[in-house]
Amino acid sequence: MNDFSVINKRLPRVDAWSKVTGEARYAADLSMPNMLYAVLLQSPLAHAKILNIDTSAAKKVVGVKDVVTYKEAGTIHYGVSPARYDETMFCYDKVRYVGDEIAAVAAVDFETAMEAVSLIKVDYEELPVYLNIFDAMKEGAVPIHDDYPNNIGAEVHQEFGNVEEALKECDYVRTDKFVNKKQDGGFLEPQACLAHFDMNGNLTLYTSTQTPHYVQRTVSMVLNIPIGKVKVVKPYVGGGFGPKASANTIELAASLLSMRTGRPVKMVMSREQVFMHSRGRHQFYHELTTGVKKDGTIYALKNTCYLDGGAYSSFGIATVYYAGSLLGAPYRLPNMRYDGYRVYTNKPACGAQRGHGGVAARAAWEQQLDIIAEELGIDPIEFRLKNVREKGEVTCNDFNLSSFGMKECLEAIRDRSDWRNKKGKLPKGKGIGVACGFFVSGAGYPIYRSETFHSTAMIKLSEDGGTVELYTAAAEIGQGSDTVLTMIAAEALGVRYEDVKIYSGDTDYGVDLGAYSSRQTLMSGHAVKQAAEDVKKQVLEVLSKRLNVPVEDMDIKDGYIVFKKGQVDFSGIRSYYVKEHRGWAEQPGDDKLTFKEAARIAYIEKGTIVSAGAYKPGELGGKYKGATVGTSPAYGCSAQIVEVTVDMETGKVTVDKMTDAHDCGFAINRTNVEGQMQGSLSMGLGEALFEEVKFDEKGRVANPTFGEYRIPTALDMPNVNTIIIESNEPNGPFGAKEVGEGAIMPTIPAILNAIYDAVGVRIDELPVTSERIYNAIKEKERKK
Amino acid sequence: MLLLPRFDYEEPKDLSEACRILAGLKGNGKVIAGGTDLLVNMKKGLISPTCLVGISKIPGLSEIEPQNGSIFIGSNLIVAKLTEFEVIKKKYPMLYEAASVLGSPLIRNRATIGGNIVTARPAADLPPPLIAMGARVRLKNRRGEREVELDRFFKGPGETIIKKDEILTGIILDEPPIFSGGNYIKLGHRKALEIAIVAVASFIVLDKPDGIIMDAKVILSSVAPKAIHAVSAEKTLIGEKPTDKLIERAANLASQDCSPIDDIRGSAQYRCAMVEVLTKRTLTAALKQAKKSR
Repeated sequence: MNDFSVINKRLPRVDAWSKVTGEARYAADLSMPNMLYAVLLQSPLAHAKILNIDTSAAKKVVGVKDVVTYKEAGTIHYGVSPARYDETMFCYDKVRYVGDEIAAVAAVDFETAMEAVSLIKVDYEELPVYLNIFDAMKEGAVPIHDDYPNNIGAEVHQEFGNVEEALKECDYVRTDKFVNKKQDGGFLEPQACLAHFDMNGNLTLYTSTQTPHYVQRTVSMVLNIPIGKVKVVKPYVGGGFGPKASANTIELAASLLSMRTGRPVKMVMSREQVFMHSRGRHQFYHELTTGVKKDGTIYALKNTCYLDGGAYSSFGIATVYYAGSLLGAPYRLPNMRYDGYRVYTNKPACGAQRGHGGVAARAAWEQQLDIIAEELGIDPIEFRLKNVREKGEVTCNDFNLSSFGMKECLEAIRDRSDWRNKKGKLPKGKGIGVACGFFVSGAGYPIYRSETFHSTAMIKLSEDGGTVELYTAAAEIGQGSDTVLTMIAAEALGVRYEDVKIYSGDTDYGVDLGAYSSRQTLMSGHAVKQAAEDVKKQVLEVLSKRLNVPVEDMDIKDGYIVFKKGQVDFSGIRSYYVKEHRGWAEQPGDDKLTFKEAARIAYIEKGTIVSAGAYKPGELGGKYKGATVGTSPAYGCSAQIVEVTVDMETGKVTVDKMTDAHDCGFAINRTNVEGQMQGSLSMGLGEALFEEVKFDEKGRVANPTFGEYRIPTALDMPNVNTIIIESNEPNGPFGAKEVGEGAIMPTIPAILNAIYDAVGVRIDELPVTSERIYNAIKEKERKK
Repeated sequence: MLLLPRFDYEEPKDLSEACRILAGLKGNGKVIAGGTDLLVNMKKGLISPTCLVGISKIPGLSEIEPQNGSIFIGSNLIVAKLTEFEVIKKKYPMLYEAASVLGSPLIRNRATIGGNIVTARPAADLPPPLIAMGARVRLKNRRGEREVELDRFFKGPGETIIKKDEILTGIILDEPPIFSGGNYIKLGHRKALEIAIVAVASFIVLDKPDGIIMDAKVILSSVAPKAIHAVSAEKTLIGEKPTDKLIERAANLASQDCSPIDDIRGSAQYRCAMVEVLTKRTLTAALKQAKKSR
């Protein structure tokens, strides 16, 4: 056991009480005096030229305060990656998907705004609609964006080693195809915001976002306000999973309307609008060719992928890179070639979603590896164990695996699931499958080119000495960063968990790139740890002077000062403190000097005690084009075993059990780590078995409700055996790295491999509905 | 966001007042009993009644009442409650099964048996077992009351024979015959909060435990505009001694008795195949129960 006081424990979340009692306020709960409500006009057509927009009737409605289109908003282009700023607040020349934003109306109430928006008249000239990448790429297709005549918005070509040569040296080579479906983030809280532009020209935007910092920059740029005048505040957020990791139209429109009307403006998306805004998982069409040696050594991989990107780029430039680069590990793969193409279509834009870019690739490859292991007659776990990388190795695409408990993950699930007694021994209809996963622990570079720190933190001690105030712009979106950062601060400073008060998610508190790419614990954790250690030093330095004890002979732990070389007479400080605080609650009574007393003395000596921490990754590997996507200060890995029952007559799959091991470096909060694992598995199960955003022939989302878009219910989730592997990451605070996204990686392929084990069919198209399995079983019977 | 349109709300204290109000509304009123479907449709603008008439204050409509061998189930009884009565579990187990898989706990706590019938969704969970067991519905207006077999109640999606001034006050289920058994299976994607891809309710009556089939009902749901009988399957079963072979033949006929459509939940072909599987399974379970029942 270690001797940590706070971290590595199972402490309740700092927001547990406010969430379970309903005290927590989300963006849609907020209101302000004199507030206006605004709604969007969105395109009913998937692809059309805008000929004219007539807002005159809407403006005449009593209670309407403002109507804006591109004429008022301007046409400054924005997006996620500066290389592909292809969005404007409102469409001006054409609409590119059903839901594309055309105008916004602000009115005294929601009903009035809705009525007025229905009176805006738009004349369109319809253009051909491309609902799949094949039509969009056809010779002669109308470009959805003028700069990309064949509708390929981004392409990537990377080669490490020499794949063609390597494949010739292989004993066994096979090619497989795989396709997933467009997945929705499925977060429970639809986007909502409240913008307030005050008399001093300061804009405050309360919004449901994962990335206050990026939203601040985008709002500032699009509305042309100095960045220092824009403050973005994230209230409690009910999940993001990626789609909330960039600025959206309601944030921009509400801000614009507030600036123009001088009144607070609130906007809330409906569930249908969430589906239309999307920015969720792309649809990936993978073709993988893998070559191995007869002894089971994985030797070469050729990966070609086409991504259905939807109408705009969003995070897609990163996605198209990740769909290749994340296969560089966890196996010793010396030769890898990747050709990726992201194609514009007339559907909602896809973006980043949990396991960014790598989930379909991982599913495809882990299923293929399973086939290969079977062909070679090697147990799939042994096959993987033979190939996994270890700590200190560097992948062919230059990822430095500074810690890597892949082997430990595989061994743990093998032993805990009783794999040896089950694999190949289960009755027909029952199956067991395994897969591995791999993910970054924070993007190595910001989404815009900059030398900026990725996370900063401030700590201020309350002047009475009793409370540690932690300020961070990190985004608590439900994943638990407030809890983790509070624990890190308490541990590093030496105080109790409950002594730390966290203020987070506000751009006034510093710079933090936000909750995406599994970066908060590692990056914000570093900044917080640094700030806490500095505060500790400041307090001990004052104490050292007062007590005449060298700083290095003292420490702070559990809220007390520790004198390493025996007791020190601190009665002077004690009586001084007691005299000053006569009548206050919680007087120090015991025979140990409290942090509270020490911190008070430090304040008396120096004034308010404050400190700051800042983190950015050190030198990262990779000099090739695209190396900025995938390089990370650390990498998480995971392995999973899934057991299923397949109803042979209906094709229905029941996932009976999941055994999951994840190397998170070091668990700051063990319960939180397990929660992220459980959540990832549930999301992976949904994508594997149920989830698919469907469209009608006009490009409208056909199932924009949680009735027809099926995320798993509690009853669909089996019991999960979660195993935490701790490999002590040298680049992480206290050895910690990611768990939020990497944990989803093995789920889909482990389910696919288990289904194969149960019924002997391989499914290469998600979701694995009962019907798809039924058809595969019938097909197999026919071939017999 | 979807907004409810403006409407008035009445909450009569007894049936005659309810009937009077409904008659006075001249077709612009709608009874609300749960509203899990009604309010959503109003939000979507599919229907726009000027007044909703709540029936929760009317005595007797939220209860189950024995009536000389039969039971009367008040139309305003919530689905969750339906599963709590011993009599339902024991005597009408297929109704219990259907009620247990309807929607989610949240929906079951609000939706009512009457609402699930009157809303007439092709995939509704309660009508198939009720039809299979020969349930009747009681309809009342200012002028009087009538009882109609549930089997004759539905016309198509959202359409029934109920008149605009009528209230469905309850469902009557007769005592199940001796040596009878029924079973309901719903095939969905998820384990809860699911609209059926296909559902089948089967009910059979034997003349004695190892005797012949006196009566058989095979009701198919989600494969037609309303729940339908697998007519040729039923015909094949009646008068025969039940065997696995017979059941298989009936199941196969059932899949030919329907002509489902392709939609986002499943293809027609898969639905037909599943009708066969579920018919076989429900008949097998119904038979097992019938042999034991007395």
